[in-house]
Amino acid sequence: MKRLMLSLLLLAVAAPVLFAQQTLNVYTIMPEKYATKVFAAFTADTGIKVNFIRLSSGEALARIVAEKKNPQVDALWGGPADTYEAGILEGVFEQYKPREADAIPAKFRSAQNYWIGIGVIPLCFMSNAKFLKDKGLQPPTSWNDLLHPAYKGALQMADARTSGTATERIYTLVKIFGENEAFAYQKKLHQNIQLYTKSGAGGAMPIATGQAASGVFYIVDALDIQQQGYDVVISYPKEGVTYGVEAAGILKGARNLELAKKLMDWASSKRLGDVMMAEKINYIPTRPDVKVSNPALDMTQVKLIDTDIAWKGKNREAFVERFVNEVIQQ
Amino acid sequence: MTAASASRIRRPSLALRDPALFFALVTLWLSLGLFIILPFLRLLQATFIKDGALTLANLVKVWGKAYNRRAFSGSIILATGVSLAGTLLAYLFALAVTRTHWPRWVRWLLSSITILPLISPPFTSSISLTLALGPNGMLLKALGLGELNFYGFWGTWLSETLTYFPVAFMVLAAILSAMDPNLDDAAFSLGASRRRMFWTVTVPLSMPGIANSLLLLFGSSLADFATPLILGGHKFPVLPTQAYLQITGMYDLRGGATLSVLLLLPALLVYGIQRWMIGRKSYVTVTGKSGARSNFATLPRGLEIAMVIVCGLVALFIAYLYFIILWGSAVRVWGVDNSFTMEHYAYVFTHGRKAITDTLKIGITSTVLGSLLAVVLGYLFQRFRFAGRKTMEFVSMLNYALPGTVVGIAYIIAFNEKPLLLTGTITILVAAYIFRYYATGIRSVMASLQQIDPSLEEASMSLGAGRVRTFMEVTVPLIIPAVLAGMRYLFIHSMTAISATIFLVSVRWTLLTTRILESMTELQFSQASAFSIVLIILVFIADIVMGWALRRSSLRFGTTQETSYDNTGA
Repeated sequence: MKRLMLSLLLLAVAAPVLFAQQTLNVYTIMPEKYATKVFAAFTADTGIKVNFIRLSSGEALARIVAEKKNPQVDALWGGPADTYEAGILEGVFEQYKPREADAIPAKFRSAQNYWIGIGVIPLCFMSNAKFLKDKGLQPPTSWNDLLHPAYKGALQMADARTSGTATERIYTLVKIFGENEAFAYQKKLHQNIQLYTKSGAGGAMPIATGQAASGVFYIVDALDIQQQGYDVVISYPKEGVTYGVEAAGILKGARNLELAKKLMDWASSKRLGDVMMAEKINYIPTRPDVKVSNPALDMTQVKLIDTDIAWKGKNREAFVERFVNEVIQQ
Repeated sequence: MTAASASRIRRPSLALRDPALFFALVTLWLSLGLFIILPFLRLLQATFIKDGALTLANLVKVWGKAYNRRAFSGSIILATGVSLAGTLLAYLFALAVTRTHWPRWVRWLLSSITILPLISPPFTSSISLTLALGPNGMLLKALGLGELNFYGFWGTWLSETLTYFPVAFMVLAAILSAMDPNLDDAAFSLGASRRRMFWTVTVPLSMPGIANSLLLLFGSSLADFATPLILGGHKFPVLPTQAYLQITGMYDLRGGATLSVLLLLPALLVYGIQRWMIGRKSYVTVTGKSGARSNFATLPRGLEIAMVIVCGLVALFIAYLYFIILWGSAVRVWGVDNSFTMEHYAYVFTHGRKAITDTLKIGITSTVLGSLLAVVLGYLFQRFRFAGRKTMEFVSMLNYALPGTVVGIAYIIAFNEKPLLLTGTITILVAAYIFRYYATGIRSVMASLQQIDPSLEEASMSLGAGRVRTFMEVTVPLIIPAVLAGMRYLFIHSMTAISATIFLVSVRWTLLTTRILESMTELQFSQASAFSIVLIILVFIADIVMGWALRRSSLRFGTTQETSYDNTGA
């Protein structure tokens, strides 16, 4: 009997459960509530089922690199392009040029066809409307506005160690002020910080509910809060903002390579942009021929700063290091 | 393996003399080797070996950063604070429940409310705490208070104390109710005042429990990563959170492994002291020889007043925190549209259904297999003398002594390559839970066997039953309460723990706790609340069923067995 118990145990412990399904497995960095809708449309169009799990960009890359010899998924969906650039250096992505890739401007896709852009998201300021009214403030329209003493202990923004939103913020500041000035600015800004959040959107809900006053976010997260009905104000700094390119790519050694290619073909088509517009997913489509229906995504009044994604990838680690050593530890 | 083969060399007859034991030992060493020793060694390898050579370079690099040193001291300070405050609070609760003449329902309510933090996923209380006491928090506004210095040490400390004191409460309540009231009578008839009696009889007799709960809380706080992740902020780093950030934020598995190795030192120290203490004192058996059982003497008046205030406020506060979650799960948009809706629950039962069924499958599998294993191990450790027994006992509980983050990191390092390719399978999740949380089962089986006279088993064998039949028909029925106690603990943790498994979930197998974290990062507070409520209800139902079975089996077999929540290890 004991033997039976033990052999049962061994059996349970030793036999990995393997599935043989004709579905596509994906890690998504795009929030689950959007990914669910996007993949539902993809499944409706192609009949291919998508199994996915949502991870933060850092976690997704760490996993993909760790699983290099045994990829658990076929594709990575969403997440900033610099994450993909970092992954290319680790050799985890497969080259594939999707059918309609040429319709996407070159700055929104990998030159070596490792990834394509599926959406563009600029940074913005988001503030609690009631806070602004109570303090008699106008919505911030300059990076320097955030240094105002009225914001003391009332800003929430993301921590550069964990969040792509935070590194994007640093890229913007470096582009505007130059590197040393950018960190000097952040040291001053630190006096007004209530909390550095782990995720890029982490500060959005506290601002929405009045726990914090203002912060720097990707437009997609800020608009989401506004669409939920919270009384927040979105504004842009006159010095300008950089933007993130949300990407998608196939993993080297993908078990369902053909299905993954179909996903990329679909992502390169106009259809993806249309789905995102219809479902109120607030990315600016990378294809210029998608009609942008949401006025909040009209970027003609916003100063957008172009950045080279390779430059971002190259400097990320050094910037994060400086952020940890100079800004949060002072 | 080594111990088993060594015993074979010294006593070549074991395989022949007792093939069942031999086979069991080999199998057990194999599984312990695979799921405890191997990951542990791979973790050390990732930390100390670079390019094939032994090196301290990783450690020096990590230690060289001031921020990491702050995380180390932060961990120690936090654990000390939580351990002291939690034990004090738990002692007051335990006194209130076991030693007062307060109405029965009040005491029942107090002890029930402490179950809530035990069965909740680790994030819930941090989140409602933020809403209550964070900047611009509801309770602060209601009380007209200004800003608290919430993010950092204080918030984390408060949240962890509330989360973990129930563990200490269980330990202390068990000790307090097992004391002999006749001692009070004796002290009283010798003319001692209430206060003197309390300080010279009750407190000294509680010392073993107090010491044990101090250590338990220290260990739990040391291992907790969820609370500081949400409440620690950048001002107050601790090691488990730093290790997690190093991996998920900086893509640095080696750095994360090294940071988690730093956690080993204090964790193993606590484990060592605990084992030393348990080894030193024998288990107190309720003998039933106390004659006429009188009541415990009344507590000093000042103390009782303090207890009314503290326990009342804390219980109310906990109830309030859970009410926030319940409310949040049923309003349309938190803070904007407070109309009632079930849409978040609808979401949970459609989009979250896979997480629910996966969690249940994993929880049940872990509980069943883990308890079987705990019975076998506990039986072996208690009833057999074989070479390497002490080593095996130590090894079998190693994962339990280590913080969850350490175990999780060790598992991804160890099981990511052929032939031990387990990432993405249910096996890796189940194994992580079993080998981490079966320790309570082993301990309670051992404690229970200690109270059962081996002569019962000898009688069965001398009547001609084999060892296996004796085990199944005599031993197992007698220890069923202990097994159930272990199962209850295993199940609760398999359903709610996150620190080890956050690294192990996959496209195929996902967990409710990670969905809760996910909903939080996606700003879906209401969904996170609904997921939490569903999880709490599932665990609560299972807990009631197992508690009921436990009481029934205790009555039937006439033994008593306290559920010993030895460690929570979020």
